[in-house]
Amino acid sequence: MAEILFYVLSAAALLFGLGVVLAKSPMMSVLSLLGSFFCLAIIYLLAGFQFLAAAQILVYAGAILVLFLFVIMLLNLGEMGAIAERSNSFLDSTSARIGAVIAVGMGVVGLAAASRAAFQPVRVEPGTGLDGLEAIATELFGRYSLAFEAASILLLATIVAVIALAKRQRRGLKDGGRA
Amino acid sequence: MNVPSEHLLFLAAGLFAIGVLGFLIRRNVIIVLMCIELMLNAANLTFLAASRQHSTAQVANLDGAVFSIFVILVAACEAAVGLALIIALFRLKQTVEADSLSEMKG
Repeated sequence: MAEILFYVLSAAALLFGLGVVLAKSPMMSVLSLLGSFFCLAIIYLLAGFQFLAAAQILVYAGAILVLFLFVIMLLNLGEMGAIAERSNSFLDSTSARIGAVIAVGMGVVGLAAASRAAFQPVRVEPGTGLDGLEAIATELFGRYSLAFEAASILLLATIVAVIALAKRQRRGLKDGGRA
Repeated sequence: MNVPSEHLLFLAAGLFAIGVLGFLIRRNVIIVLMCIELMLNAANLTFLAASRQHSTAQVANLDGAVFSIFVILVAACEAAVGLALIIALFRLKQTVEADSLSEMKG
């Protein structure tokens, strides 16, 4: 049962991923990405990573995609982006062909590497669950505490950077567009 | 779930390839950022597959899960800065098409 669900969700995640790339309007791309992330979250759940599934929904679907939606709506790209891209037929150009060849090549290499890796059979019993929240917290604040602190500095730097980007623009507008 | 970890890796490879494809053929900078998110998700899935592979029924290996948390964090930072840059660029050039942003070509 869980196996069938996994393969169905895998196919759905890949189809939604293709939807992100091939959708005409950025809004449809975001919604496809949302579908792909939800499928991946359920796959994490099936694989026993409950906390990761929750983080996937909360952070990816809840925070990052809402940020994307905000920007697309703020810039009003619903139709404009689609028309601009349709006019220069993005699948016809040379760069698009080279890109497609590189992507297919990387996919083939990845599949070959995955299939050649000599794996032992899975020993995890279904339903036991790999990551208890307590165990993850112990790892995060124990062995990985330095990385955890570095991550907090990264977040602080991001906040400062985003505020600096937004604020410089406003000052530039105030003194006549010179930024 | 009794799916072998290879199949998780197949899915990750497929998602990563789709992300690379979109990154290379799309011109809308926002969609390029979304394709980066897709590739980061594929990397997460690879970490989790490795973690699952190295777990036993008694001892769970959590390195992959912890790495995935850090990857999600970096993805959030990257999306915030990237979208702020896109808004600044849009104010400057009134477009988000990558082809029209060529000031730094040299």
